[in-house]
Amino acid sequence: MTKPARFTIHQKSDLGVLLALLCLVLWYFWDAYTASSHVLNLILIMPVTLIVLVLCVIEFISQISHRDREQPELDPVKSIVPVVSLFAGYVITLPWLGFDVGTFLFISLFLWFHGERRWQWVLGYGLCAATLMALFFSAMLPYPMPMLLLATDY
Amino acid sequence: MVDFEALNSGLSLLFTSFTPWLIVIPGILIGLTFGAIPGLQISMAMAIFLPVTLYMNFMQAMLFLTAIFTGGSFGGSIPAILMNIPGTSSAIATAFDGYPMSRKGEHNIALGIALGSSCIAVIIGYSMLFFLISPISELVLRLGPAEMAAVIIWGITLIASLSGAEVTKGVIAGLIGLLVGTVGFGEAGVARGTMGSVYLLDGIPAIPAMMGMFAASELFKLVNTKYLVADSSARKVSVKVIFASFKRAVRYPWVILRGSFIGVFVGAVPGIGSSVANLLSYITTKRKHKEPESFGKGNPAGVIASEAANSTSEAGSMATLLALGIPGGGATAVMLAAFAMHNITGGPQFIREQTDIVYAIIFANLGQACLLIALGLVFIPLLANIVKVPMNYLIPSVLSLAVFGAFGLTGNMAGPATVMVFAIIGWLFKRFDYSVPAAVIGILLGGMAESNLIYSYQISGAQWSYLLERPITIGIIVLLFVSLMGGKLVNMLSSNVSAQADA
Repeated sequence: MTKPARFTIHQKSDLGVLLALLCLVLWYFWDAYTASSHVLNLILIMPVTLIVLVLCVIEFISQISHRDREQPELDPVKSIVPVVSLFAGYVITLPWLGFDVGTFLFISLFLWFHGERRWQWVLGYGLCAATLMALFFSAMLPYPMPMLLLATDY
Repeated sequence: MVDFEALNSGLSLLFTSFTPWLIVIPGILIGLTFGAIPGLQISMAMAIFLPVTLYMNFMQAMLFLTAIFTGGSFGGSIPAILMNIPGTSSAIATAFDGYPMSRKGEHNIALGIALGSSCIAVIIGYSMLFFLISPISELVLRLGPAEMAAVIIWGITLIASLSGAEVTKGVIAGLIGLLVGTVGFGEAGVARGTMGSVYLLDGIPAIPAMMGMFAASELFKLVNTKYLVADSSARKVSVKVIFASFKRAVRYPWVILRGSFIGVFVGAVPGIGSSVANLLSYITTKRKHKEPESFGKGNPAGVIASEAANSTSEAGSMATLLALGIPGGGATAVMLAAFAMHNITGGPQFIREQTDIVYAIIFANLGQACLLIALGLVFIPLLANIVKVPMNYLIPSVLSLAVFGAFGLTGNMAGPATVMVFAIIGWLFKRFDYSVPAAVIGILLGGMAESNLIYSYQISGAQWSYLLERPITIGIIVLLFVSLMGGKLVNMLSSNVSAQADA
């Protein structure tokens, strides 16, 4: 009798994502239900939640029973995590650093971390791109943008 | 029926002087620019330039605004092809094959055929509108909330069925998108899923979510890539190839015709038309193609199908606006404001009494399609140079642009935060084969699906028999099941027949 194939990290993560999505959907249903159990509030949410629940069970069984399926080749997560973290840091700090300084720092740091060692290019490109974008959007948009050095509106 | 006297009057309005056409060229250029920059919307361009139309007469104002609309409709396909960022929801299907073509170094071909199919489709669409404006408006009047809800669910099911072997995950993604689209205050007057955040009371901003899921997540995947196009010899920008590919679009007459037909009729459905039309055209073309598995990997027919439908959906939405006075989306809503600024009310009376102006608008759009060819052929080669930019410069620039654009759409930090959160979700979805387009369409249409279900429930008095009185709804539901099960049923039947023949 052959031993069933072991789960790879990718398969475990796949099951984890499926479970997380199911939890998210159930939480949303519960949140909507506690807000109001009136039919008008749940007319779409309840049937969709039920269908997602059934589909998640089907998908779960399918993943368990097809664990020996060929795995796709994927980029290593560790090369993407720093980029995601830098981007998240950029967005989170925007209210304090403003779109001008925040964008300059984000572009310059990204260039530095991705192999650009000519500091004139790192600082020059970051400065030009951030200034142009900040000036263009603050002139085009009808509301003020958070800025640290430039004017918030033109 | 065509009113020839009004037709003559309409043509003389357009062609007795060159002055009306002078504002068309800047209009198309504004539309192209706003469409090509991720985060800037056609409706935003039209709203910004709306005050300018106060100094124009009604005809000139319409020419200017429709020129922005025409330029913007095509402009949205440029970032979809080059960066996998659909500038608008109507360019989602363009990215499916346009972007893989760019990655293969076929960006010149993709842009050329997109321009060719868009221009031809605009001509076909407005020609159809010229003959069919009254029947289309009558058809739109028959669409109630039940039909709208059925069209939305059909659209999501169609896109989920694109997911190949992972149909279950595709449907899960689409349905979760639908739920996400209902976050915030619902019709029942209670807030759902806001986690106490005031930013979420109006719901999750759909376009920033789309930008995050499509563009930012794709850029995360490309961090280890040197250039968008790996082969350095394929990075050349060739006006000759763009022009040749522009002409190549003519080789797909049925794809363009089918896309145009879908675009005009589905595009006329207020609110959802343009988002669903391009997907429907893409999926129909994929199903009918002899190599359906080549779609999503850079098949030019996919780009043509999507562009033909999204360009003609403009004609469909204009039909609804002119004949019924109902704006189908943001762009036509701005046009309705222009109507009001000139003391004109769209609707059956407008069509009856100002038929010459209606014809003039239709013929002006035919002229705009020809001008778009010339302006597009100048504009596209400039933008196509993006493939020569190293990825370590392109990625932070496009991510920043998406953040600026998202702020522009929401007016607060909810936009950039949405891009960030949905970029991570989009990356996870792509990594584990959940359909990103299905989720995005769900987010875009979730709120509308819920509203239409509620209206149907209220109108029907909670009676299922109401559906039996709605033949169009039944027709759409049948189409939904055919599109989901049709292929499998045919396969099952044909395998049974061959098994019996073998026996």
